Amino acid sequence: MARILVIEDDTATAQEIVTELGAHGHETLHADNGDLGLEKATREPFDLITLDRMLPGIDGLTLVERLRERRIHVPVLMISALSDVDERIAGLRAGGDDYLTKPFASNEMAMRVEVLLRRQAQQPAEEAVLRVGEIEIDLIRRKVKVDGEPVRLLHMELRLLEFLARNAGDIVSRKIIFEKVWGYYFDPGANLINVHIARLRKKLDRPGKPSAIVTVKGEGYRLDAV
Amino acid sequence: MRPSPRSRTPYERLQLRDIRNTSTFRLTLLLGLVALVGVVMLTALIYLLSARELSARSDSILRAQAAQLMTNPVASMPGAVRLAIARSGGSGFNYFGLLDADRRRIAGTLSGASGFRIDHPKEIPARPGHHGPIRELAVRLPTGEILLVGRDITPIVDLRWRVTLVLIASAGVIALSIVTAAILLSVAPLRRVATLQRTAQEIAAGHLDRRMPVLGRGDELDLLAGTVNSMIDEVGRVIGQVKSVTDAIAHDLRTPLTRMRSHLDRARRSDDIASATAERLDLAIADLDTVLERFTALLRISEIEAGSRRAGFADIALDPLLKSLVDLYRPLAEERGISIGLQRLPGLAVHGDRSLLFEALSNLIDNAIKFAPQNGHVALSVTSEKGSVAIEVRDNGTGIPTDQRQSVLRRFDRGSAANEIPGSGLGLSVVAAILHLHQFTLALDDAAPGLIVRILVPDQSRPLIQP
Repeated sequence: MARILVIEDDTATAQEIVTELGAHGHETLHADNGDLGLEKATREPFDLITLDRMLPGIDGLTLVERLRERRIHVPVLMISALSDVDERIAGLRAGGDDYLTKPFASNEMAMRVEVLLRRQAQQPAEEAVLRVGEIEIDLIRRKVKVDGEPVRLLHMELRLLEFLARNAGDIVSRKIIFEKVWGYYFDPGANLINVHIARLRKKLDRPGKPSAIVTVKGEGYRLDAV
Repeated sequence: MRPSPRSRTPYERLQLRDIRNTSTFRLTLLLGLVALVGVVMLTALIYLLSARELSARSDSILRAQAAQLMTNPVASMPGAVRLAIARSGGSGFNYFGLLDADRRRIAGTLSGASGFRIDHPKEIPARPGHHGPIRELAVRLPTGEILLVGRDITPIVDLRWRVTLVLIASAGVIALSIVTAAILLSVAPLRRVATLQRTAQEIAAGHLDRRMPVLGRGDELDLLAGTVNSMIDEVGRVIGQVKSVTDAIAHDLRTPLTRMRSHLDRARRSDDIASATAERLDLAIADLDTVLERFTALLRISEIEAGSRRAGFADIALDPLLKSLVDLYRPLAEERGISIGLQRLPGLAVHGDRSLLFEALSNLIDNAIKFAPQNGHVALSVTSEKGSVAIEVRDNGTGIPTDQRQSVLRRFDRGSAANEIPGSGLGLSVVAAILHLHQFTLALDDAAPGLIVRILVPDQSRPLIQP
């Protein structure tokens, strides 16, 4: 369970975020303007902040800049109605860790929160080897073993597996995968990511064992320890 | 592509052929010719009248001289003639002759050899070494003899010759001046027309923010430019209205639809729903996703068309971009038994937005894979000629009939071949919007069988038109 500060002036959106994060077992606190949000974020410790970009009082970009100036490095998911890539870059440059465009599907928002929380948890000790069940990824030598047997993966397959492994146990959507693994922010269609996952799955699966990569219908994929 | 010396467009090069065709040139030439004919006719008339006057004066002098000689008795006429010649002192200015009734010379220097008519003065051409041009009058004496009186008219003939020369030379100079004036008068309007033409082409290419230059002279070109500008204003306003209505619908419906999707999704995730309900919820969510996808694509087109992305333009190496696209799409192609090939041409770069170009090419490759037959082939290639670059995506599917190649670029138009294949009908519109932002051209061609989609990147050493 994480403590999350929701800074959002639109009541319906705030309610949406609070409900969804609550359903994922997180404790949330809501601030409906920038000044209040900054005050709360400065005074109390949070595991994550969801931050609307356009706010009464100080705006989202300034708020995250102030936080970083005060050496508060809590992960920030910026939420904005401005979808252009330039806006996204501005949001991330100001110190945001991820960027989500309104309107958003609440499960998509929750997934991004999980990815950020996971990344934060992993940061202190950057491992040389990632292990998920029988899958072992040597991040330095760029080698993968399943059940102790080496598996040859292409460059992007390895990056995809690494991303899934870093978020093992959590569902990640196709959109998040395309953004985080390939670095592009448009919708390439469902099939494209599906076939990449299918190829990776084929290389990782072992006879008689369930697949480590689980497809969650309508949502995305999850890497499980098997 | 590195900058190379700027090449001029055909509109910037004024050629004599262009000038010759202008109405100003033709009109000036016509007016000039009328003036020239007038001047020539007037000068010729003055010349003719003067020449006639001079001849008349010569003739009256000749008659006076003949009359004076005729006052002598006929018997002493030969002596009178000789005396007259002697008086003229061999000046070579006056000539006299006396012929008998049978036209045989009795006395004098004129023999009448070149023929004459009584009382009809005529000119005898010069005989170099003997005499100059002579005006000659023949008069019959009462006794039948013929008196010839002649007068050298060299100054008159010289004057006539000079006047003719001046006439020809001035006609030539006037004609040359008219042509020069016609050219000079045509160049300025032609330059303005070339500017108007260039602006019109930019407007036709979709730059509805461009306007025809109005110089404020109030001439016919200013009037035309003003009319076209008002027309473009109106067209732009109507297009803007249609677009803003579409965008507003997409924008306003997106939020409630996204919320609806979240509610359905949450309901779908609850443990206590029947499987039939779950199935229906899945279908509803899938339908909502399709609608949301289309709205997203529509707004994406608007966002791209707003043209705010040019600040992020940079030189993009084409080879790695295409290679990463092929790597991204190869699994999808191979799953359908389609081979995907890339004809590489390293070292080429284009100026643009990397992620937008990646998106445009993704759309084209995705389409090519969708439309290629089982075990078909998709080929990407790059060619470069004289600084221009062409990126080609080719498939061996059913292709697009010639009459549908323009319409498939419009929003929601999918062409007849796409009926069986899922899609929003917005992919090519997104591509067109991205390429338009870059001022690249999209060309659809027949691969017989299949479709060739070609992105034509103009010589980028020429400055791009700034929005």
